[in-house]
Amino acid sequence: MAQRYDIQAVREKYIGTEIATSRGRYPVECDPIRRHCHMVDDSNPLFLDPEYAATTEHGEVVCPPSGWLALYFASLGPWSAVFEPLLPIVPTPGKRMVNMSQEVEWFARVKVGDHLSVRRRVADVYQKGITLDPEAVWIVAEAVITNQRDETVCTIRNTLLTHRTPEEVSAAAAEEATR
Amino acid sequence: MRRPQVYWEDVDVGSELEGFELEISPRRVFLQVSGSQDWYPVHHDPAFARKAGHADIFMNTGFLQAALVRVVTDWMGDAGFLRKLYFEMRRQQRPGDTMACKGRVTERYRKDGEGWVELDVWAENGREGVTTPGKAWVILP
Repeated sequence: MAQRYDIQAVREKYIGTEIATSRGRYPVECDPIRRHCHMVDDSNPLFLDPEYAATTEHGEVVCPPSGWLALYFASLGPWSAVFEPLLPIVPTPGKRMVNMSQEVEWFARVKVGDHLSVRRRVADVYQKGITLDPEAVWIVAEAVITNQRDETVCTIRNTLLTHRTPEEVSAAAAEEATR
Repeated sequence: MRRPQVYWEDVDVGSELEGFELEISPRRVFLQVSGSQDWYPVHHDPAFARKAGHADIFMNTGFLQAALVRVVTDWMGDAGFLRKLYFEMRRQQRPGDTMACKGRVTERYRKDGEGWVELDVWAENGREGVTTPGKAWVILP
């Protein structure tokens, strides 16, 4: 018989926990930026053309100000081709995930050749039901991304929803009815 | 040739950003996986997505963020600085949708000697309306 999920115990144990600290395996490179731009037809030459970028006040190709891309360069990317959740540390009733919101603050531009690192922590965990799953768990994670000079270039606050599949919800309800 | 530069004193509150549209085609789904390096199957495997209770696969956070960032960076010019972006994934962009990404200037002020502009930015489609509302804070020369 499955144990009941204790949100209070999870909150006490995990809020404030440092999740991971990592330094990008590679410095910021042109090709991941190109792929990132191509997915939304972004043809900005400041992001794509080293010759153009050299004529600007920035002098080099600038990384688009996407927290997602900064996190890619600061983690151990290129990420494994097998999906590995970035927040495996917090136990939840369901393993399915959806990002719900993100806030990204920038303090400096990132350029090709920079070398990024990230520190992540669990900022909040709470339970709030959704239509799919009355026991859905929400995780708020904060990331601080720094460059090779240990300057903070951006911070990211991400709210992640974790939930069960409809089959898992039905199975748990049936089990609960037999208790 | 340099790209056009927007200057703070020339910005009008209420003015619209040009924005753009993208078809969420199978090719766009592949580009999303390549460009975001997000391998979570809910964004490319319909059977996996349906088992989780979703109607279909849907575009991921990295893709939506890149689109909203493009709305801003296409507009602000090389000397503009995107200081902050907030957005919510309220509804989904799915294959077959045409995603329109737009923006509008909502505030313009000086703070700490710099020219700030606040924008509403969002993604929408014909099926669900606004799917991804957001807000951006930009510093302009």
